[in-house]
Amino acid sequence: MTYHLSIFMENQPGKLEKIAKILADHNINIRAISLASAGEFGVAKLLVDKGEEAFQALKEQNIAVSKRKILVILLPDIPGAMYNLLVVLSEKNINLEDCYGFVVESKKRAALVIEAEKYPQAESALRAKGYKLLSEQELSEI
Amino acid sequence: MYWEKPIETMDEKTIKERQLQLINETLAKAQEAPFYRNLPIKQIKTLQEFNEVPFTRKQDLRDHFPFGFLRKNLRETVRLHSSSGTTGNPTVVFHTKADIKNWTNQVARCLYMIGVRREDVFQNTMSYGLFTGGLGLQYGAEELGALTIPIGPGNSRRQIWFMQTFGTTVVHILPSYALRLYTVFEEMNLDPKKDTKLRIFIIGSEPHSEKMRDQIERLFGVKAYNSYGLSEMCGPGVGFECPYQDGIHLWEDYYYVEVIDPETGEPLPPGEEGELVLTSLQKEAMPLLRYRTGDLTRIIPGKCRCGRNHVRIDRIKGRADDMLIINGVNLFPMQIEQIIMKIPGVGKNYLLEVKTENYMDKLYVKVEVDREIFEGTLSALTSLQNKITEELKAEIIVTPVVQLVEPGSLPVWEGKAKRVRDLREK
Repeated sequence: MTYHLSIFMENQPGKLEKIAKILADHNINIRAISLASAGEFGVAKLLVDKGEEAFQALKEQNIAVSKRKILVILLPDIPGAMYNLLVVLSEKNINLEDCYGFVVESKKRAALVIEAEKYPQAESALRAKGYKLLSEQELSEI
Repeated sequence: MYWEKPIETMDEKTIKERQLQLINETLAKAQEAPFYRNLPIKQIKTLQEFNEVPFTRKQDLRDHFPFGFLRKNLRETVRLHSSSGTTGNPTVVFHTKADIKNWTNQVARCLYMIGVRREDVFQNTMSYGLFTGGLGLQYGAEELGALTIPIGPGNSRRQIWFMQTFGTTVVHILPSYALRLYTVFEEMNLDPKKDTKLRIFIIGSEPHSEKMRDQIERLFGVKAYNSYGLSEMCGPGVGFECPYQDGIHLWEDYYYVEVIDPETGEPLPPGEEGELVLTSLQKEAMPLLRYRTGDLTRIIPGKCRCGRNHVRIDRIKGRADDMLIINGVNLFPMQIEQIIMKIPGVGKNYLLEVKTENYMDKLYVKVEVDREIFEGTLSALTSLQNKITEELKAEIIVTPVVQLVEPGSLPVWEGKAKRVRDLREK
């Protein structure tokens, strides 16, 4: 399973820094991050190279963290690429619960991370259209 | 000047003689209630001997809920009042017709003392219903003959409209709400000193400082009198300040007043601060003996210039227990704890903070998110926050601001945790 880490955080100075420090201390590389806030608190989603190690390290520090299943889709780093991908999902009436992206190789390859409500359908629809989904192993190597 | 001159101006010796007689009557009556069935002392010859009677505590009222203190057949009772709370047993107080009549008389006596007359228009902004501040003052003001406006709390513009339209002269109000109400006058470009006939405020139900009273008097151009009461005795009317505003007179024909050391239970001499202990002297349905009010104060030594010899206490300094008073509503941290601990997703640690915002009290409840249950979505967190808010609101009446905090971020105390931070402006 490919997953990212979801972390409960108070919306206050120094809170994200604390998380970043724990990861830095464990030599964990952050691939991408997204933050969602509900005012005084929020949730950070972190995509890292060594998921299990990061998960354990955060847990040890008493952080409220959980693993969330994701799909990481490789796509060309060109205008319209995300649109084409989203058409595939919306045609199947698949809703996204969370979504963010990052560039893998400038002007060549990018990756889109999604949390979707119907994983098997999303996965098969994307594979049918020739999209490459990154495994945990591949993710740690990029 | 006096509602009942002979009683109000009785000399100290007469008061003591009368109290001895009333205590003995009350001891006899109390023994008809299940809780007091085995009282060690049946009658006393001197007031000194009364010190041997055990205290009654709020917890006793809860433990013997609902009828343990009732000595009358329910057919003879005409009303009950109750504190908030559904988790722990609420404190319920019953009244017979005579009890209501006596309470009404105490309130009328208090109102007359501060200068309220039948020509006055009395607007009661306290909550009606189970809370005693509504009906208690209502009956007293009617007895006195004033025109009453039982408007209840809230809707400041409507309050002001009634004040202006019907020429309100006397208002019963929470001190914090009085300051809030003034800001609404300002918003409406009105000056209560010029644009109303207000002359007397009765402020009570929550502790406040002398400074706050001065501010209310200055802003509204009124005299503001401190009122004392507790539902266990009846409600407001147990005592009021007189026109000299130098301490609260407690009516000694209705209550036997002691101040004790809250640690040792020993009675303290006048002037020394301790916990106020009251014995009802004329209650029929539910007499209470040596009831520990939890309120910290002192008896003011010396005579009052008003001519009343009934004992005076200082304004309430605080509580001997951990009871909180939020905008006039009493609540205990335990009530909140019991709710929070039942909700999945919440950790074991919590902290209550009370602040002053816009002149009113605001209760913050900080709870730690349980990291074992955290499943990673923002929507689950916001619904947890809403659930806690709704469940607390239903229990404690006050609407709190619930804040979710990170596990381990709240201080942990050894033994009895200190879970309340009172940050209100004094």
